[in-house]
Amino acid sequence: MIGFDLTINLSLTITLCAIIAIFFIPLKLKSNLAALTVFVNAVLYSRISLPALYGNVIEYSLNTGNFMGNIPLRIDGLSAWFIMIVGFTCLTGVIYGGGYLKTYNSTKSELNLHWILFMLFQLSMIWVCMLQHGLAFIIAWEIMSLSSMMLVIFEHNNPKTIKSGINYLVQMHISVILLTIGFIWVYFQTGSFDFNAFNVFFNGNANIWLFLIFFLGFGFKAGFIPLHTWLPHAHPAAPSHVSGVMSGVIVKIGIYGIFRIISFLKSDFLLLGEIIITFSVLTGLYGILNAAVHRDFKRMLAYCTIENIGIIGIGIGIGMMGLGNNNPMLYYLGFGGALLHVLNHSLFKSLLFYSAGSVYQQTHTRNMERLGGLIKSMPKTAVIFLIGAIAIGGIPPFNGFVSEFIIYSGLLEGMKSNSLNQLILLILSIAGLSVIGGISILAFTKTFGTIFLGTEREKLAHKPEEVSVRMLFPQYVIIIVMMTVAFFPQIFMNAIGNILQRMSILRSGFEIAGFTNYSTIISNISRYSAVFICIVAIIWGVRTFVIRGKTAETVPTWGCAYVGSVPKAQYTGKSFSKPLGKILGFLLIEKKKYVEIKSGEIFPISRKYASNYHDFFELFFIKPISKHLVYGTNYFKFIQNGRIQSYVIYGIVFIIAIFIITALNII
Amino acid sequence: MLIFILILIAAIFFSGIIIRTKSIFSGRKGPGILQPIKDVIRLFRKGSVYSQTTSFVFQIAPTVYFASVIMAMLVVPFGQYKGFISFNGDFIFFAYVLALGKFFSIISAMDTGSSFEGMGASREALYSMLAEPAFFILMGSLALLTGHLSFQEIFAALHIGSYITYALAILATFVILMIAMIENSRMPIDDPKTHLELTMIHEVMILDNSGFDLGLILTTGYLKFAIYGALIVNLFVGVIPYGYTIPMFFIIQFLVAIAIGTIESFMARFRMGHNAQFIFALTSVSLLIFFGALLILGKFI
Repeated sequence: MIGFDLTINLSLTITLCAIIAIFFIPLKLKSNLAALTVFVNAVLYSRISLPALYGNVIEYSLNTGNFMGNIPLRIDGLSAWFIMIVGFTCLTGVIYGGGYLKTYNSTKSELNLHWILFMLFQLSMIWVCMLQHGLAFIIAWEIMSLSSMMLVIFEHNNPKTIKSGINYLVQMHISVILLTIGFIWVYFQTGSFDFNAFNVFFNGNANIWLFLIFFLGFGFKAGFIPLHTWLPHAHPAAPSHVSGVMSGVIVKIGIYGIFRIISFLKSDFLLLGEIIITFSVLTGLYGILNAAVHRDFKRMLAYCTIENIGIIGIGIGIGMMGLGNNNPMLYYLGFGGALLHVLNHSLFKSLLFYSAGSVYQQTHTRNMERLGGLIKSMPKTAVIFLIGAIAIGGIPPFNGFVSEFIIYSGLLEGMKSNSLNQLILLILSIAGLSVIGGISILAFTKTFGTIFLGTEREKLAHKPEEVSVRMLFPQYVIIIVMMTVAFFPQIFMNAIGNILQRMSILRSGFEIAGFTNYSTIISNISRYSAVFICIVAIIWGVRTFVIRGKTAETVPTWGCAYVGSVPKAQYTGKSFSKPLGKILGFLLIEKKKYVEIKSGEIFPISRKYASNYHDFFELFFIKPISKHLVYGTNYFKFIQNGRIQSYVIYGIVFIIAIFIITALNII
Repeated sequence: MLIFILILIAAIFFSGIIIRTKSIFSGRKGPGILQPIKDVIRLFRKGSVYSQTTSFVFQIAPTVYFASVIMAMLVVPFGQYKGFISFNGDFIFFAYVLALGKFFSIISAMDTGSSFEGMGASREALYSMLAEPAFFILMGSLALLTGHLSFQEIFAALHIGSYITYALAILATFVILMIAMIENSRMPIDDPKTHLELTMIHEVMILDNSGFDLGLILTTGYLKFAIYGALIVNLFVGVIPYGYTIPMFFIIQFLVAIAIGTIESFMARFRMGHNAQFIFALTSVSLLIFFGALLILGKFI
């Protein structure tokens, strides 16, 4: 039996050894060493987390002497749930990444740095979930943000990548500022950085403001609108295994933070729940609308992440309403659906990013309009992407339906409420969620259809081939886990029920019975899904039997009597989603670049036409603000003049100022 | 069990009745009521032609599409009697299973690489997406009104208490009828008899399907009509015993078919650009039902 302290020491030692060793081992083995370390860490922390899922909270106090005093480390159910998700997704990411980065084997030092950062990235995320001390939390949070930012800019020769990385860095630091303000506020009120101080704070002060500060801070990470603008830049820029892990878990760490703060709340549940639901429905709609029109398939997946954060947020909002209305059913269904969707989304989103990465590795383009017909050259990747696409649309028989169903049930159970404004909010949320589902079908049929179906639209420099087993293997593992969630949901529902039953927020009288009831319904649904698969199999069997011996010709596609072959005339992703973009033109800002035909022009000349969709919030919210900020800060440009001498002077002035201030007892 | 067989029987006649209605209105004699089924049987016996662009997706899609509708049929109740499958929130399952079928029919159209079929696929995805909130708000409102969450419980409890609920049922009939038209790509959203690929929705998606697969797709369309007809029946039968409900079932299905035929005879197809507005207006009718439910429950105080 390895205890908590031993686990921590062991994992730190192993990671440190691996970081040193990675410099000395041959190029080929570097990724294997990283995979091994990530695996060991995932196993170590999952092993101690597993009992915590079922109620045994484990604690440990890290003594840092005078520096920060005793730092409490605690793994309760909530932490354990997120730690296990982080562990699993990082593991698949590192295995996939080993295959994905094969083509980059010439740049040795970069690979060293990359794998070291990846290991740190995983550890810091796990530590964020364990640390229950404000300052230490911020430090781990910062390591997580910085390491992920460095991972994003792997292809640093590309100025666009650097730009996205810096964008990410800046936004993450606004988030850190908000979090720091929150923690310091609690510190000043209670004199402690321990998370337990939140209980004291929320008992004595208004809940709403501190919560909103934290919600904004964590919302940056999670990607609620209008704080989402880093996602569509950072995800396409990062190498695919990194974007898979980032989208799969790093945005979920933001959700973890929100959950953590909620678990300390004492009042104002109803108001906060309504705020969260409203924002979440809008986030979901906005995310999926953009996903439907974008043609960079990794950017499209990034927008889809925003959509799923919206769905998770709806769950959280319902849970809050349950607490506010004293309705245990809503509490369990809302938070339960949100937690399960966190798991589900981490699975199918990493799956989609990995398979999209396989496409990128083979074709070297992220523009889906240049692709087509890849199902013939990369059949396995195509099927994997198809499974991910169906699952993420929340369609049975896959796992996405399970969590979306719980959230729908929460919304419907909430309809038993008596308050008119809640009812209206709920019915609009149901409508919103159904529209999200509908548009996600549009978005994913577009993406899958354009990339994998039809014929190739452009001759590519290299003929795409199926990717290596090393890249396919983690994707198969993810599919197996997805199927486990879809067909044996009761395992996960029980764990979630346990987590929720023990959350510190819980009041007496919150019976879990209703949730268990739903858990039975959901395991029945998985049975019906099995029935569905049987029906498909039977019809397929009948079909095979009937068409046996009949003629089956193969001819070109019916071109309405036009017999020439024009792959370029295929329906494109752009044209597929154009009607939607047109209806919602006020939100999906399309910018076109072309030269008008002049009146005197008689002879045809070659022309260029480009059209791009822009992010509404980036264009009208983020950009104007940053523009004004830049305008103001221009006056302070003289401070950063690039001369080391000046910087030394600043340092001296600062030290003297601190000295004088403390000597005179001003602070 | 019973409802399953009833829907199958209704599906056999449904399309034939629509066609007959249309031919009577246009002054023709028209084909026999069973002609659509005979067409399907003929198709089942034929060989197939596949496009060389297509992959396995194209082959498996009609099967999945058909299976999804069969699965949705299992959920439909018959007044107070349950369907094969009944649980809290089964109408979510109903809608999402149908969505799976739609997903496959869309990607199968894209699999052919034809620009026309892609066009149809895009429209199908858009219009069915727009119709989604109308259905969910409708069912949500009925759930609110009755306090139950499954098809069978909702329909069984719908008319207990007051007769005003029949007014809501009539509004709901309109919504479901229109959803059926959208789902089956009929007038006024789409004209199945048009001869120009550019203006088709559903018909253009299946241009390349032939033989058994085309037969399956056509059958699916008939079944879908009968399923939505059965939902409309459910809005009215409530707790009436079997003896009356079975004739009622066929009468209402018959009326629905005639209504569809009449709409198709006297309306022109909307311009594509106007469809979105029309379908979205359906959502506002659903919202009307929601407010009706609130009024009946006395929550507006």
